[in-house]
Order: sequence, then C-alpha cells, then structure tokens
Amino acid sequence: MKESLLEILRCPLDKHELELEDAEYADDENANEDEVVSGTLVCTECGERYPIEDGIPNLLPPDMREETPA
Amino acid sequence: MGILENKARARLFYKYLSKVYDQVNPFIWNEEMRADALELLEFEDDMTVLDVGCGTGFATEGLLEHVDEVYGLDQSRHQLEQAYEKFGKRAPPVHFHRGDAERLPFATDTFDVVWSSGSIEYWPNPILALREFRRVLKPGGQVLVVGPNYPDSFLAQRLADSIMLFYDEYEADAMFKRAGFEDVKHAFMGPSYDPDVAITTVGRAPE
Repeated sequence: MKESLLEILRCPLDKHELELEDAEYADDENANEDEVVSGTLVCTECGERYPIEDGIPNLLPPDMREETPA
Repeated sequence: MGILENKARARLFYKYLSKVYDQVNPFIWNEEMRADALELLEFEDDMTVLDVGCGTGFATEGLLEHVDEVYGLDQSRHQLEQAYEKFGKRAPPVHFHRGDAERLPFATDTFDVVWSSGSIEYWPNPILALREFRRVLKPGGQVLVVGPNYPDSFLAQRLADSIMLFYDEYEADAMFKRAGFEDVKHAFMGPSYDPDVAITTVGRAPE
C-alpha cells in the first residue's frame, strides 16, 4: 500500500486515525518510495492493530480475522 | 415422507433451486449488465471510487474504463488473489484492502462513488453497510449497488429467504432511504433469457 493512503484509512471500529508502525518499504526498482510492504496500522484511539500483509492492509475487524494473533 | 419423494415435486424443486443458484452465481453478472450499470453513474477520470466486495475484480475492471484508479475492498483473501493477477497488488490502478462492508476502514466524506455488485446478499445487516457507504461518500456522492432481485415464485422465495438476502424494488427503496440516500432509483438487469435477475439501485448522499 501507498503510505499516502493513511490520509483516508481509519480504524473500522471507531473511525479514528491510524498510525503506521514498523514499516518496511519496497526496494525493488518498480516501487515508489512510499510503497509499504509490511508493518502495522495502529488505531490512535483504541490501540487496535491491523497488519499490512505483503503490501495489503488487512483492516478486517478482529472478530473477522481468520488468523488469531499468537 | 420427504418432499423429494414425489418425482414431479422433485423436478420442480430442482428447477427452482437452480434458478436461485443462477441468481447468486457471479457468472450471471456479465459484461453487458456491468456496462448497463456503469451507464447509470456520472464519472470523471480523477474521481475517487470505492468498489466494496470487489472480489476477483470483475466490476473493478469496468470501473477502470471510466476512472484512473479504484479503491477495492473485500474480506476474502482468495477472491482477492484473482484480482491481484489482473491488476497487480500495487496501485495504480487499484488500491486493495481487506475489510468489512459494514465497518468500512475509511474516513468520512472520502469517495465520489461507492460501488458494490454481487455482495449485498452476503451482508448480515445491509442497512448498516449502506449507512457506512453514505458516511464515506462525499456530500452529493453517488452510490450504486447491484443485488439479486427477489424471485417471483413462492417456492423460490422460500429458498431465497433461507439461503441469503433477496429484495425487491420496494424493499430496496426502503433500505436506501433508511440509510439516508436521496434520488434513489432502481433498474432491473439480466441476460436476455432472464432479464430481471439483478436489481441495481443508485442514489446520492445528501448535499
């Protein structure tokens, strides 16, 4: 995902802004510099964490995620 | 004595069962119907468009004939894999997200168009999802939802009700108005042999 997407992404639960943590950026030649391949989106209000999986933000609410965090 | 022990009734049962399955089968939603639905919206190249339940990207592909970029959201990893093959994982042209239609992960007043085809029948609470659509639409933004039309026959209705959501024009009207949309209109679409299998509803978020 593009880092600039943060402007419109919100926590699906309380609609507050998300912060990007532990971001890793794509370094291949096709990538723009703001292409995030992994990291975590963290809600600034409730603290819920949403993973970025192979560049795709997984913003499913926790009750709909098939993988439960260890 | 089950219902299927009478062969005539069994044939009738399977006839209507297959009719219901046809209606929920994504292949019934074809390119011609997609083009008809796209005609109902007003586009500009740089509009921000959200495709809710984008799945394998069939509608996304049509939307990209009208706008430069599309924001796609789906809950299914497997459906999305097929969309990645068509468009690549990175934007442009498609910004992909996994998420829930009833709890959209987007800011209020973000999109010019929210589109959803072949997805509403799976939402547990369509009003919630439609309210979310209205929330993320800019004032005056356009919504378009394609869903399965409620079947005419009683038996198909019973099957439809037990499998998933189906609705008719009146119910669609009530749902969209309850969700706060204005200028709500409906169109029926389908292949020539079954011209009203899909109901398409368009509306606008209040200015």
